[in-house]
Amino acid sequence: MFDFLIEGFGVALSPLNLGLAFLGALLGTLFGALPGIGPINGIAILMPLAYTLGLPAESALILLAGIYTGAEYGGRMSSILLNVPGDAGAVMTTLDGHPLAKKGLAGPALGLSAVSSFVGATIAIIGLTLFAPLLAEVAVMFGPAEFFALMVFAFASMSVMMGKDPVKTAIGAVLGVLIATVGVDSGTGVMRYTFGMAELYDGVDFVVMIIGLFAISEILLMLEHANRRDADTEIPPLGRVFVSLKEVLYCKGAIGRSGLLGFIIGVLPGTGASVAGAVSYTTEKRLSDKEGTFGNGDMRGLAAPEAANNASAAGSFVPMLTLGIPGSGTTAVLLGALMLYNITPGPMMFTERPEVAGGLIASLYIGNIVLLALNLPLAGVFARVLTIPRWVLVPAIAILAFVGVYQLHSDLTAIYLMLIIGVFGYLLRKLGFSLAPVILGYVLGGLMEQNLRRALSISDGDVGILWQSGISLGLWLAAAALLILPWLLPKLLAGNAPREDVEDG
Amino acid sequence: MSTSTKPVADRLLGICLIGLAAFVAVQAINLEVPFSYEPVGPKAFPLGLSVLLAGLSLTLVFKPGTDGHWPHRALALKLLLVLGLLLVYAMLFTRLGFMPTSLLVVAALARLFGAAWSKALITGALMAVGSYFLFTAGLGIVLPTGYWLDAII
Repeated sequence: MFDFLIEGFGVALSPLNLGLAFLGALLGTLFGALPGIGPINGIAILMPLAYTLGLPAESALILLAGIYTGAEYGGRMSSILLNVPGDAGAVMTTLDGHPLAKKGLAGPALGLSAVSSFVGATIAIIGLTLFAPLLAEVAVMFGPAEFFALMVFAFASMSVMMGKDPVKTAIGAVLGVLIATVGVDSGTGVMRYTFGMAELYDGVDFVVMIIGLFAISEILLMLEHANRRDADTEIPPLGRVFVSLKEVLYCKGAIGRSGLLGFIIGVLPGTGASVAGAVSYTTEKRLSDKEGTFGNGDMRGLAAPEAANNASAAGSFVPMLTLGIPGSGTTAVLLGALMLYNITPGPMMFTERPEVAGGLIASLYIGNIVLLALNLPLAGVFARVLTIPRWVLVPAIAILAFVGVYQLHSDLTAIYLMLIIGVFGYLLRKLGFSLAPVILGYVLGGLMEQNLRRALSISDGDVGILWQSGISLGLWLAAAALLILPWLLPKLLAGNAPREDVEDG
Repeated sequence: MSTSTKPVADRLLGICLIGLAAFVAVQAINLEVPFSYEPVGPKAFPLGLSVLLAGLSLTLVFKPGTDGHWPHRALALKLLLVLGLLLVYAMLFTRLGFMPTSLLVVAALARLFGAAWSKALITGALMAVGSYFLFTAGLGIVLPTGYWLDAII
């Protein structure tokens, strides 16, 4: 059953792909470490350029996956050194990471973060290797009705888990799905929401969408910090750069537990690195914080969320590769990238395109080792990236965004559309929306409608088919439970509980 | 950044989104669909979405969140300036060519983001020339040289 992995290593170990895994890890770490650029922005900015290289699908995916895992790692630098989390997933890293840096242990903190990331990711990649083919075998039995129910479940789980405001998360997802309906309807050839613009016949281009939504809105958002002198922009001295074996062993329990936890959370659709980091940190604090050192620079408090973050990053490949349902915003971007190559991830990919599925998984193993090898000795170099001023960064992002979109069709309309989407993304972010649901909705929207219509074609319009099978009924019930429980539980508890915890609700 | 305006932003958003939902629904209903054997057709999905969006937006109107830090006037002006610059970049991209436009826009952007004029100009020149060769020679992307240059050559 591991044929795909053997074939995958054959693909991933070719000199070109090995080089790409290395390049991806390097670029990803650099972009992830840039102030204000999280993993998702890093991929959004670099992805169009990856296309210009004219790579075959599996090579492009290896490059992008390298960028993804690299960026997840690079994003931790500003958390530890500057107390500024690069993205939501890195918030927990700041809690003990930055105090460590203040104690003069910035170097060991970075080293420990690299080692925990490595171990956490390795646990998850092994989990991915074991479970993805199994899940794919189950998923082969999924018909359109089951896939539709699965997507509803994914959106429900995302609304509850992602972001602060479930209503806004849901609205974001609906807006994303709506954007996906733009263009020629594949079933009937009817134009929907194109307003007579030929550029919209094929729908809103994926690259235009992600660059606008992430890169352009980021430029606008950065303006708010342009002239603010943050007190913490001084990078603390790194001290010794290597973490000692003793320190790593001290954290081994935290790393192992959080790696497993992160993997499981990553597999759940819609729950990404931020949930994994938070859950693992609180779990570890409850389990091992006997002296109350968590929050004051406890190594275990840094190791736990780091292992969990990276484990969830790898874990979110499980639903993406086997079901075609991304587990996080970033994997949604990767999924969209695959679709550009006319590959729709799903259960058939392991049998029909084993070189893509296996090559990707194999390259995750390789990329992970490359990352460790890169980050331990070069931590100091990457840390310097943090000091790049915004007045260099912003124009560079602007150039990359413009060229990335322009090279698609040598067409200015796409650039104007990108700017419009950028303003839209900026407004959403200012209004407290998270962009991940929007991109997830956009990527999944087309598939969702296709599956719905296919299912109803099979049943000749009878809606009952959507919950006829046990699998789909279970998914509907799970989705309903997810949506109702967070609303119901506090009410049930409030009935018995004393009044004190009502006030912060 | 007055705090009293916070719920207003969400309420306004909710109302706008209800308008959007109505627009989406009307457009969907007015689609002219040729006969097809498929029972659902292209209307139902957007219609369902618009109902969902309207419902969610109503929740937002009646239970607005607490988010929102709106830029004060000076920042809003700068925001418009940056947007304007990006628009100028788009408009001159093919007319003036990649290199001159990038030089201008990069320098102006750098200046807006707090660089001194001299540094901004140097950044503009370096980035415009450097990225041009990186993209064209390195990645094989064809970038516009500008109509004026074509005219001279």
